[in-house]
Amino acid sequence: MAFDLTVKYAGEGGEGVISAGDFTMRAASNLGYEVVTFKSFPAEIKGGYALSQVRMSDEKILSQGDGFDILVAFNGEAYEVNKPLLGKGKVLIWDGPEGGDFEPDLEELEKMGVFVYAVPMSKLAKEEVGAYITKNVIAMASVFELFGFPMEVLKQEIVKKFSKKGEDVVNLNFKAIEVAQNYIKEHIKKIDPYRVPGPLPKKDVIILEGNEAIALGAAVAGVKVFAAYPITPATTVGNYLSPIILKTGGFVYQSEDEISSMAVVIGASFAGAKAMTATSGPGISLMQELIGLASMTELPAVIVDVQRAGPSTGMPTKHEQADLFAAALGGHGDDQRVVIAPKNVEENFYLTIEAFNLAEKYQLPVIMLTDGSLSLRAEAIPTPDIKKIKENLIERPVIRKGEVKPEEIENLFRYAVTETGISPVFVPGESPKPYTATGLEHAENSRPRTTPDERVKMMNKRFKKIANIEEENPHLVEWDLGDLQEGDKADIAVVSWGLSASITQEAVKRLREKGYKIAALYPKLLYPVPKNALEKLSSMADKILVPEASYLGHFARFIKMFTNIPQEKIVQFNIYRGEPFIPKEIEEKILELLGEKVSA
Amino acid sequence: MEYIRLQEKLPPKEYRSDIEPTWCPGCGDFGVVTALTKAFSEEKLDPTAITMTSGIGCSSRLPLWMNAFGVHTAHGRALPAAVGIRLAKPETPTIVTAGDGDIFSIGMEHFPHTARKNFDITLVVMDNRMYALTKNQTSPTSRHGYKGSLNPYGNIEDPFNVIKFAIASGATFVAQSYSGNPKHLAETIQAAVEHKGFAFVNVLSPCPTFNKIDTFKYYKGRLIDINKELGHDPSDMKAALELASHVLDADNPELEDAEPFKGKRPIGIFYKVEKETFEERVAKLKEKFAPPSGEPDWDEILAKYRP
Ligand SMILES: Cc1ncc(C[n+]2csc(CCOP(=O)(O)OP(=O)(O)O)c2C)c(N)n1
Ligand code: SF4
Repeated sequence: MAFDLTVKYAGEGGEGVISAGDFTMRAASNLGYEVVTFKSFPAEIKGGYALSQVRMSDEKILSQGDGFDILVAFNGEAYEVNKPLLGKGKVLIWDGPEGGDFEPDLEELEKMGVFVYAVPMSKLAKEEVGAYITKNVIAMASVFELFGFPMEVLKQEIVKKFSKKGEDVVNLNFKAIEVAQNYIKEHIKKIDPYRVPGPLPKKDVIILEGNEAIALGAAVAGVKVFAAYPITPATTVGNYLSPIILKTGGFVYQSEDEISSMAVVIGASFAGAKAMTATSGPGISLMQELIGLASMTELPAVIVDVQRAGPSTGMPTKHEQADLFAAALGGHGDDQRVVIAPKNVEENFYLTIEAFNLAEKYQLPVIMLTDGSLSLRAEAIPTPDIKKIKENLIERPVIRKGEVKPEEIENLFRYAVTETGISPVFVPGESPKPYTATGLEHAENSRPRTTPDERVKMMNKRFKKIANIEEENPHLVEWDLGDLQEGDKADIAVVSWGLSASITQEAVKRLREKGYKIAALYPKLLYPVPKNALEKLSSMADKILVPEASYLGHFARFIKMFTNIPQEKIVQFNIYRGEPFIPKEIEEKILELLGEKVSA
Repeated sequence: MEYIRLQEKLPPKEYRSDIEPTWCPGCGDFGVVTALTKAFSEEKLDPTAITMTSGIGCSSRLPLWMNAFGVHTAHGRALPAAVGIRLAKPETPTIVTAGDGDIFSIGMEHFPHTARKNFDITLVVMDNRMYALTKNQTSPTSRHGYKGSLNPYGNIEDPFNVIKFAIASGATFVAQSYSGNPKHLAETIQAAVEHKGFAFVNVLSPCPTFNKIDTFKYYKGRLIDINKELGHDPSDMKAALELASHVLDADNPELEDAEPFKGKRPIGIFYKVEKETFEERVAKLKEKFAPPSGEPDWDEILAKYRP
């Protein structure tokens, strides 16, 4: 059996719960383990329930998992929230027996088979270390001591993080570690079976958070202008990008609102630069008119929408996948745009680069949909080969001065109708011939035109660009057939996108281990809808399950709308509680559809 | 950053595209086209390097009539689109042409920010004191009492003092001119293009089709040159603000003899100051952080993410 352990820190926002998770994740990764984190916190700056969960394994981890093995409860609320999830074989570390704000029902927990350790984190921090803020270090160090993580690794991480703040801060944290270690040695008898097996061979990996991966991807893709207005959970894309982009000769611009961000992107793109913005639901609503302008003027633009739970301000720090309609159809008129979605941190990185490639190739806006939980999820991913990526970047077909004969220039049109619908690009300061990009319908030479013939010609040209986007980019649909061959009959088919896809992947894996035949499809291209792949999948099973974290189930409805798959084959499975799925519930849903009894 | 320029002057007509303007005969905005072509010629700008943006409105069609690169954006969004160009290609001079409705109503949130950041943009607003393209509604600069299609009983609002606002916003060049005075207009626009930083020129530009009050006939004899006739020194911000606060006096018949304008419309440069532009500040940052080769040390960047 693979080693697979999940530690969850839960408590009040601002108490260091999140950084405890981060430290633990880094330590595990340092030891050579695969890691995936899951974090959630309230919209308020201080207070409210926060959690940080670290799953580690010696094998590739697909999702955040079903829950935890070890819970560190910082306070009573955290204990109450997680109590229903405690059961046989789980470990609870709580802030006691003195100094904390709660007392778990020890007898009951013992009956349930929970291993309970009382570590008076608050008291030790206050009285022994003399600084309450070290409570989370005490908590972490206790976990390290109890489960066999080398304390050296934690110390290294502390030095990395705090040496800038001075020796005193580092020493204070070291003291907290020592206090925790001594307390555990003197007072706690280990009764649980969990232990980290020890370091693995080092892998060539980097650790990225979801939004960090987007930022790095954008920098590698060569973004020169990034314009944005702060909004949770998208803000950190810009935060992470600003130090890198300056080294690449680009600039992060904070504009006065989302409308201006999108206009800045259009202006920069018109001037020849790769340009991007990142926002969340409310921001994408504001950008819609200008996304249409980018489409009409055929200017490449990358728009990242880190979805949150809406409508309106909704639950700004919570998870949902309900912006697909807005991303794909949110504008006015028939415009051309592409919507893509990554399912994990690694894809956040590569798909951001892909977003630029698609935007440059097809000369249109590309919207990448990620979500709050993925933006915060950390993963260790194989170190990317930047040189290779750079070699494969797609650049705009800019017509440069001196490249065309003077007599040819006259008949060279910015919106020339071509075989593919993709036209030559003119850029100020570089191209021999100026033009005005206009949102008005226009002729090939960019002049406003409203005759029926001209309208039809240009609409056809623009739609032609993306008519074969699925065939031209087969890698944007990920097949997962297990032992099945294309065309075989499966027990059930599953389609899933975004973070839900990574969770579905794990559910599918578990079911396959139990002998079920499942055909799964994880489209990264959501719009235009990858009709062929979906119809092929449909031929393999009687039912297609589409799990989505939204009330309406946007993609399931797109399948009904844009493919020939019989409506009744599509089974929607929707959650909208502000959290992602856990693999178990998708697993159980599939079993239920297959008529299997699910054990409680 | 220095603009891309030509060695030799091109005649002004070379800056016109062969698209015929769709404007009504007699529209004040024609004067702005002429003045712009003169200014571009004088400044030896390269048509293949000029960038223009505009919003939506009669006036905002202007870039289409020009032999220059242009983006005819959505209503109100000309300024941020220009900002995008400035960030991507500061060597291309950027001129924004728009209407009073476009800039001071729907696009209003962008004006003070673009001004205070001192982007090197020339903004020429064709102020006909109403919305023309949508067929006669009041705009933020319409007179009190102006009858638009949505308020046939007359405007119950007072107009917005855009000159005072521009100075207060931090624009580093603020002027007003008149499309019926070609010489003044061309000189003012040229000074604005030459100015390094955010230059705003409000052009009193009649709409003979709809606005029957602010007409060429009305303006005749009702202009006063603040620099020549009043000796105003544009480097004096206090004096500029004082003068600016009287810009709309002429709307009020009771102020016919009042100082400083004596019931006339002021034209001229109200304010002008040299200040580092946003682009210059960005360039400094890039110089500090970007490697000369343009390609950063990716290994060093990736090392930051290693466990
Ligand atoms: C989002 C949006 N709202 C409304 C309109 C309709 N519209 C077009 S032009 C215009 C007003 C233009 O007025 P102004 O900027 O003063 O220009 P003028 O036509 O007077 O030169 C309006 C409201 C639009 N095109 N887009
Ligand atoms: S309606 Fe007025 S502003 Fe528009 S073109 Fe005609 S005269 Fe000019």
